[in-house]
Amino acid sequence: MPQEPKPEPTSTFTAKAGLPASPQPLEVHPLTTDIKPWDLDDLPRFEHVGRPRPRFEGPLKVTGRAKYTFDIKLPGMLYGRMIGAAVPAAEIQSIDTSKAEALPGVKAVWTTDSRVVRFAGQDVAAVAAVSPDVARDAARLVKVHYKERPFTHELREAMKPSAPRVFYLDRLPVPRELNRNGNVAGPRQSRSNRGDIDKGFAEAELVHEASYYCPVHTHSPLETHGVVASWEGEQLTIYASTQAIFAVREGVAEALGVDRKNVRVICEHMGGGFGSKLGPSATGSAFSVVACRLARQAGAPVKLMLDRKQEHLCTGNAPSALMTVKVGAKKDGTLTAVYYQSWGSAGIAGGAGTAGPAGALHGKNPNFKAEEYDVFTNAGPSAPLRAPGHSQGAFGIESAMDELAHKLGIDPIELRKKNEASPVRMAQYDVGAKAIGWERRNKKAGDMSTGSWGAGGGWGGGGAAPPPSRRRGLGMANGNWYVSASQNSNAQVRVHRDGSVEVITGCQDIGTGYRTSMMLIAAEELGIEPADVALRLGDSQFPEGPGSGGSVTTNSVAPAVRLAANQARAQLHELAAPLLGVSASELDAAHGKIFVASDKTKAVTFKQAAAKMSGESIDCLAKRGKQFETFRGDLAGTQFAEVEVDTETGIVRVVKMVSVNDCGLPVNPLTTQSQVIGAMIQGASWALFENRLLDRNVGTMVNPNLEWYKILAPADMFEAESILTPVANLGNNTSTAGIGEPPIVPTLAAVANAVYNAIGVRIRELPITPDRVLQALSEARRA
Amino acid sequence: MARRPAPPDEGREQPSFSRRSFLKSAGASAAATTIVGAGERAEAAPAVLGPDAVLLSLKVNGAVRTVSVEPRVTLLDALRNHLDLTGAKPVCDRGGCGACTVLFDGAPVVSCLMLAADAEGHEITTVEGIGSPEKMSPLQAAFVEKDALQCGFCTPGFVVAGTALLAKNPDPTLDEIKAGLAGNLCRCGTYGRIFEAVQAAAQARTPSQGR
Repeated sequence: MPQEPKPEPTSTFTAKAGLPASPQPLEVHPLTTDIKPWDLDDLPRFEHVGRPRPRFEGPLKVTGRAKYTFDIKLPGMLYGRMIGAAVPAAEIQSIDTSKAEALPGVKAVWTTDSRVVRFAGQDVAAVAAVSPDVARDAARLVKVHYKERPFTHELREAMKPSAPRVFYLDRLPVPRELNRNGNVAGPRQSRSNRGDIDKGFAEAELVHEASYYCPVHTHSPLETHGVVASWEGEQLTIYASTQAIFAVREGVAEALGVDRKNVRVICEHMGGGFGSKLGPSATGSAFSVVACRLARQAGAPVKLMLDRKQEHLCTGNAPSALMTVKVGAKKDGTLTAVYYQSWGSAGIAGGAGTAGPAGALHGKNPNFKAEEYDVFTNAGPSAPLRAPGHSQGAFGIESAMDELAHKLGIDPIELRKKNEASPVRMAQYDVGAKAIGWERRNKKAGDMSTGSWGAGGGWGGGGAAPPPSRRRGLGMANGNWYVSASQNSNAQVRVHRDGSVEVITGCQDIGTGYRTSMMLIAAEELGIEPADVALRLGDSQFPEGPGSGGSVTTNSVAPAVRLAANQARAQLHELAAPLLGVSASELDAAHGKIFVASDKTKAVTFKQAAAKMSGESIDCLAKRGKQFETFRGDLAGTQFAEVEVDTETGIVRVVKMVSVNDCGLPVNPLTTQSQVIGAMIQGASWALFENRLLDRNVGTMVNPNLEWYKILAPADMFEAESILTPVANLGNNTSTAGIGEPPIVPTLAAVANAVYNAIGVRIRELPITPDRVLQALSEARRA
Repeated sequence: MARRPAPPDEGREQPSFSRRSFLKSAGASAAATTIVGAGERAEAAPAVLGPDAVLLSLKVNGAVRTVSVEPRVTLLDALRNHLDLTGAKPVCDRGGCGACTVLFDGAPVVSCLMLAADAEGHEITTVEGIGSPEKMSPLQAAFVEKDALQCGFCTPGFVVAGTALLAKNPDPTLDEIKAGLAGNLCRCGTYGRIFEAVQAAAQARTPSQGR
């Protein structure tokens, strides 16, 4: 019998948790090695945390000096190129690389061992050559003979019993216990299932049921996936465009059968990932491993970056989702039951569930059941995308709630409040409603005379009346996310004898402002200026940090940074105490000085204290450790949209969006709000424009670029406002939480609900393109 | 403007159908006129370059630099792979995103759609030539101040396009800024703050306009 692990010793602190307007005492029990969490009482005394600060790497990025993986150039470096399958389903009969190998300038060639093709773009071969152009020439010379097979390209087609099978039933990549039928596996039961929905629907006075559809969205980071691989003997160095340098190290070392100690992964700046860069390579390609093999074969470094088409095909995507939502309520809006069914296609991968929001939102609803099915198609495997499954799921449940509100004749916000279980979101509704001007909305959807749009019909300034074809509307929707963190998050603080400070932590900065936030945390704890902290990151030789996914980065690493800084500070106070003739416990630190807390005039500088150290540096290494008793385990958010619909052209334009979010204590509101606004933009883009189209005749992507796969552009930009509701959650010693994902959860639904309020016709399939708007309006006229 | 169709059986009547006769027959539309111009220039052009590498002399950020590249190499690849100027970014490789924007005699162009050989004899300015981390241009400083960047991969393209816009229109309205940056894409979602940065840089230069 294995022994029960001995519980680690803990301390007890009582701190002020929750919203500043309604503080609540909460007892937390950190490990004795950890420290009391920052709480509401700390907010007013912060010098750096919580104050907007431009990111410190900004000057490098705006002048083109920041070196991304794509910018790395090593002596003698070759250029690699992946070759993907040209067809969606086939058996590979032969791969002839002889002509490519014979081309002058080609230095290495790789071919796959796999003989089965399940999606267009799957790894088939690769080349490395002296220039990108020669590599492209060589790629064209690789001849692949396919024995083509029938394929299925789209979720609703793949669900049909007659659809060609993507896998043999026993090979479906889903848990063993799951039912399988053709390309469909499921249902999986949601962990949020509760109560008895049959009883709940029997009690309902009104039931709404409808189906909603959300297309596949590709991450489309601007820097494509890729690496530069370089061998020196057994030592392998990989520059990677990644959200997880340690996952690259572990994954590549395992695939190549080399020791992790011999693999170093570096990522200093990274050009976007949104969840698609969390693995060693990508979900639908092993390009990192291939690049390392090519480099070893050629005896030279190889840069292998995917091109834009490959980025769309094999690096992941957000699954499509078909959702049937049934909601039952009393006439006053009290929910009695929610039944949520979803079919999602993650291409050749499983895990396309979307029930998260339906299970978590409207927490007072006593009866909930969700069943999720994975549907397999001949398309690239999905990857986590910013709150995986949650944007699609919120589009389903929050559209249904909006429809329910309309049928009940209740304000959509009032319906939400009636069923709200989160005190944080309860406080957010009125804040957001005020910011968007919720009272202006059309009380009767589609009829602007029932709204309060002011002179000029809301077109501002009381100017000329708008063309009658244009309609405005307001919508709202809720989102949920979770407080989660990686305990294996480490940071080192090094104070040199000259008083200069380094914070060393392996975790990469993917553009969130993480780097600057860690500088602010260290500066706050040490009582020095952030600019005086040098942050070393993005290197697997540094202490391990998490992959940047799940909105975990800040609240994983910040507590380790603060703890390491706290230990360094304690040592500096010991050095300063004899200089001031007091004991170290009487000291405090701020503005680059260490002073007696009761008499600030008795002070030495940080540098004077550091000069007293016996060696050349003080090094403190700290590990995050366990999550404390968290004020709330969820992150509340609610979002509002104002749209304008031209009923003659069908064009929908977002006019304004407001997002109200809980992210714990925001370390740097400036970069936090940048992330929130960015999430709204990506979500609005998904709602209105984005749609990965696979050709039904040949199964390849019709729009593998950035103009036909349209993403929101400057001309489409709207007024975007981010409102943060700081919450001391006490879940770690910095009370921080994440923000990268939560604000994209409600956006699709908020935009769709606003479109309904504008035109009075419900569009249940995204993206809301002009053709869909015109068709919906025309059907409504005929009805 | 729609191009006027050629007579239906012109090909049959003229067995020695040539590019030049086609262009003549394509008539007087504006589009066709441009093509005629190109055709005439092609006839007067020197011998075809390549396929082997040729020596090119490029004037980049005020300095003349020599590169040896195949004639098919784009200006973007020449800058990045041969001159170590990696500010301009490869993103879509087809002029759809603006991340590779540079100034070509002061006008913004997408360097992925221009051959390096065609840049000879012209002034090329990359984002590196607009400012350095130690001495940023007012627009670059405004980008940092307003947090008009996240991952930063699109940022050089926006900085170059914004610089070109302000050179042409020192005090643009919001709509003019949107139009001036219409060819650039950002995936992290920084557009609003980019507009603010351009406005801030414009106001710093023309403080009294009060827009």
